[in-house]
Amino acid sequence: MKISMQINGQSHVVELTDEYTPLLWVIRDMLGLKGTKFGCGKAACGACTLHVDGEAVRSCSYPVKFADGKEITTIEGLGDATNPHPVQQAWIEEIVPQCGYCQPGFMMATAALLDKIPNPTDEEIDDNIINVCRCGTYYRMRKAIHLAAEKQSALKTTNEPTNS
Amino acid sequence: MADKESSGNKKVSRRKFLVRGGLGTVGVLAIGTYLFRNPIRRAILEKVNSMDIEYLGSTDNPMLWFELGPANEIILHSPKIEMGQGTFTGLAQMAADELDVPFQNIKVVHATTDTGNIDQFSTGGSTSISGLWQPLRELAATFREMMKLKGAEKLGVSVSDVTVADGRVSANGKSLFYSEIAEGVTSWTIPDAPVLKDINTYRYVGKPLPRVDLEDKVYGTPMFGLDAEMPDMVFGAVVRPSKIGAKYISATTDKAEKMPGVLKIVKEDDFVAVVAESYIEAENAKQAIEVVWETPDNLQQEEIVAMMTVGNGTSSIIQKQGDALEGDAVVQMEFRSPIGAHAQIEPNGVVASVVDDKATIMISTRVIGITRKEVASRLGWDEEQVNVVPTYLGGGFGRRLHTPHAVQAAVMSKAVGKPVKYIFSREEEFQHDMFRPPTHHILKGSLNEQGLLSGLEHHFVSGDVGNNSALIPNVLPTILGADVGAIRGAFIQYTAVPNHRSVYWHVDLPFATSWWRSLGLLANTFAIESFIDEMALKADKNPIEFRLAHIGDDEAGKRLKEVIRTAGEKSGYSEDVKDGKAMGFAASVDAGTPCAHVVEVSVEDNEIKVHKVTVVLDPGLAVNPDQVRAQCEGCVIMGMSAVLFEQMKVVDGSLTPTIYGPYEMALMKHAPKEIDVILLQGKDKPGPVGEPPLGPIGAAIANAVKRLTGKRLQSMPLKLT
Amino acid sequence: MKTKSYILILFLLMAGFVLASMYTPSESDYVSVPPSKKNSETPSDVAFHKMMDVLTHPRCVNCHPNDHVPKQGIEGDPHDFGMSRGENNLGFEATKCTTCHQTENNPYSGVPGAPHWSLAPHSMQWQGLDRFEIAASMMDTERNGGRTPEDILHHLTEDKLVLWAFHPGVDAKGEPREVPPVSKEDYIKAVEAWFENGHVIPSN
Repeated sequence: MKISMQINGQSHVVELTDEYTPLLWVIRDMLGLKGTKFGCGKAACGACTLHVDGEAVRSCSYPVKFADGKEITTIEGLGDATNPHPVQQAWIEEIVPQCGYCQPGFMMATAALLDKIPNPTDEEIDDNIINVCRCGTYYRMRKAIHLAAEKQSALKTTNEPTNS
Repeated sequence: MADKESSGNKKVSRRKFLVRGGLGTVGVLAIGTYLFRNPIRRAILEKVNSMDIEYLGSTDNPMLWFELGPANEIILHSPKIEMGQGTFTGLAQMAADELDVPFQNIKVVHATTDTGNIDQFSTGGSTSISGLWQPLRELAATFREMMKLKGAEKLGVSVSDVTVADGRVSANGKSLFYSEIAEGVTSWTIPDAPVLKDINTYRYVGKPLPRVDLEDKVYGTPMFGLDAEMPDMVFGAVVRPSKIGAKYISATTDKAEKMPGVLKIVKEDDFVAVVAESYIEAENAKQAIEVVWETPDNLQQEEIVAMMTVGNGTSSIIQKQGDALEGDAVVQMEFRSPIGAHAQIEPNGVVASVVDDKATIMISTRVIGITRKEVASRLGWDEEQVNVVPTYLGGGFGRRLHTPHAVQAAVMSKAVGKPVKYIFSREEEFQHDMFRPPTHHILKGSLNEQGLLSGLEHHFVSGDVGNNSALIPNVLPTILGADVGAIRGAFIQYTAVPNHRSVYWHVDLPFATSWWRSLGLLANTFAIESFIDEMALKADKNPIEFRLAHIGDDEAGKRLKEVIRTAGEKSGYSEDVKDGKAMGFAASVDAGTPCAHVVEVSVEDNEIKVHKVTVVLDPGLAVNPDQVRAQCEGCVIMGMSAVLFEQMKVVDGSLTPTIYGPYEMALMKHAPKEIDVILLQGKDKPGPVGEPPLGPIGAAIANAVKRLTGKRLQSMPLKLT
Repeated sequence: MKTKSYILILFLLMAGFVLASMYTPSESDYVSVPPSKKNSETPSDVAFHKMMDVLTHPRCVNCHPNDHVPKQGIEGDPHDFGMSRGENNLGFEATKCTTCHQTENNPYSGVPGAPHWSLAPHSMQWQGLDRFEIAASMMDTERNGGRTPEDILHHLTEDKLVLWAFHPGVDAKGEPREVPPVSKEDYIKAVEAWFENGHVIPSN
């Protein structure tokens, strides 16, 4: 079957026989975007988290057929060095990553959280950010999440006059 | 602070250098060396006690360390793997200072077996920075001096008239970048004895610079083993048994052969595999292969626990002073730790290309030399035909010191004539882990009339850590009579106790156990430091004062005491329960690095909650204090995870669970809101950092719980119900 | 299938003591009271018990917890990673049920899925109740969200999330999940029969 999706703002059409193929492998192996990680394949660790129509989704457990017609954002589309997302800026300022493998998933989950709750409390962070990090960067991540919230709201405040 | 080793020792002599110049027109200069002959022997003789194993370089090839590029950037080929510990950043800082180039001009890459300077030992033991501290700076200083000599020549002045700064050699208002100096040069003068700078003049060493890999990791740049690709690559999957000790007998593959995308079934004497067009097709076909295994009797957890009991197996005394404890007044207490999984988030994986007479292996490995040797051996090739290209690791923690999947991928690639990628499933990653062995400890102690310890003994049993590992020369266990990994942290650090001893028991387990971050340290310190706390309570003494009273006055003792004292002060340690929170104290020394933790703990609904951890660590010179702090924070959280949640169990002959969730680990909500890291500098060179801060956390938490609830928790994971 | 229809006929025809002996008490913790041992069961009662054999199964009760945490597996363990109902029974604000659960079972991850995957509202807690209490709760408009018997009948026999119990897919290990002890067809017939007969809850 043919699947059409927008990934990071670009149209992609893929053709494959197994419509249950996890979106993760389509993105990594067919489209070559390696920032979304394979950790467990069971939607348990969160390393494969990306956004589908703005919602956090664990792509190892998301059949590609559901992605048809959807807008997908991966870590590569969240931001880059010239135009970083506030979450990425905060992650850099707090020097969060150690091995770094789980970090894209955490950043995608955090970006989704800040979209729903611009200034999350510690409890809201604890509820929503339930990915697994083995290096134990949670301590810096929490700081980075709060910092990202500040950056994002500052950005919005700055942008408001031009937007309205 | 004079660095007494900076001159004289390990001089790099001229004949040990190889200079490759004039590659193309870009003026690339590479520098190599034949340093460190017979290093394994030296390591055994000099370093075995401290486990401070230094860099063990290759001895057969010239080794590429630095490459100078046209825009004055310098590529540092690291023999150590970056797995999150920040080694690349520390090495770049050390190199930049001695090379006299701006930090941002240094790019660090992993050395490959083709470029030569791989570490024949491994990346591990928290020794990457400490082990390379001297040799890397010497190499960098040599490079700088070469630039200085040639730069003076090109500027037409005497060497004594030039200054070197920011990658430039200057004199009389004129200056040349290193890349300009190297241009067109075919013959270099290599100084015999590079003089290292005074470490107080360093611009980068000692500064909390951001990690060199920070942006790549934040923007999702491909860099890990599983991100590796080769042209025309296909996917392989190996059928692995779910039962402990299962031996491959035969396989029926008719169904799998007809599955979509399947290219080939690979049947070997010891395994069966499938190669397919995509990852999912390979995995699907793998499920369709029926394998006959020869499986021993179904083991159960109770049998493992019964095996792991002090008194079983063989013993050796690893520390002894004075007499053995006897009599009714002796206090005795037992402790246990469970089987622990590595659970690193990136599963093991590899891309192997075995085409014509050349093999290329891209892999998350920490044992590049061993991976190469094993692949060459299976293919029946010379090692020179196999190039191992290591990648960043999505977590190490003691995993990736064993890479049989590289051999299997190579066999599959040879069979299909294409590069093959092979990834462990998460289930396989858990089932075929080389676990942290379970342990059992018996502690004995006696008090004198002053309420001080007159005797202290630690008897413990562990499965293999270093024994039966390809990493450890076979001679080592024989010399020591004990497993070098299992005994980490097992020594009594309270050497002022007149009678003390530590006795190691070894039991062979029916499944593989090995290195797990900090090795025996976590469990041994949990047992010993919990018991010390119990003895302090019995003696009715402040646990910090009680500890200090039993530590010797040698240099190591002084550093440990300073760490303990500082932790007490900075944390405001108190034995009182305040606002439902109690504090717990513990300290350990690992590989010469002392560390103390003070935790603040509450208990809600029988759940132990850690609110704050104060960490005091004396790593010596912290090359990058921010990354030393990051290691402390990470050790606290990984340690908490192991101490409060994690355990593998043997059920009906299988190791379970095989997925995150059921293998319970610390999450964001469990991480302390406050981790206060205080770094002391008890010596002027770097010491091990990546593992020592894991030591005290278990006992510190258990000691706090004791003060809060009156219960002495004696088994990891610590549970109140 | 044949065996099951045969058993159904038996159920409808035979006397109470036979019925009682044919009920296999579920091992689940949720069935705290054994089925009625009265020997005067009407067809409606028979239908009731057949329906409740399904509704007391962990496949159903797991999503009607007595706290805010979904349960999982045949043992009814708390959902991994501290997932909870959130404000709207759909999970937390950003990490929702649908972060992992889609509208179908996932054959690769073993994550179960069905349309509008969610928890039953807290008022509809069944965990810890016996079959009679569950039925009473289900029919009580105070607790069932103001649903009429027709609404409940629809929920029980047509809602894809409810009927998922009969097609629960495979778990994370690829092993098929246990289904309730009554077939989907027999269950639907029993539910319809019970409602047709006035949805009378037998006395305990």
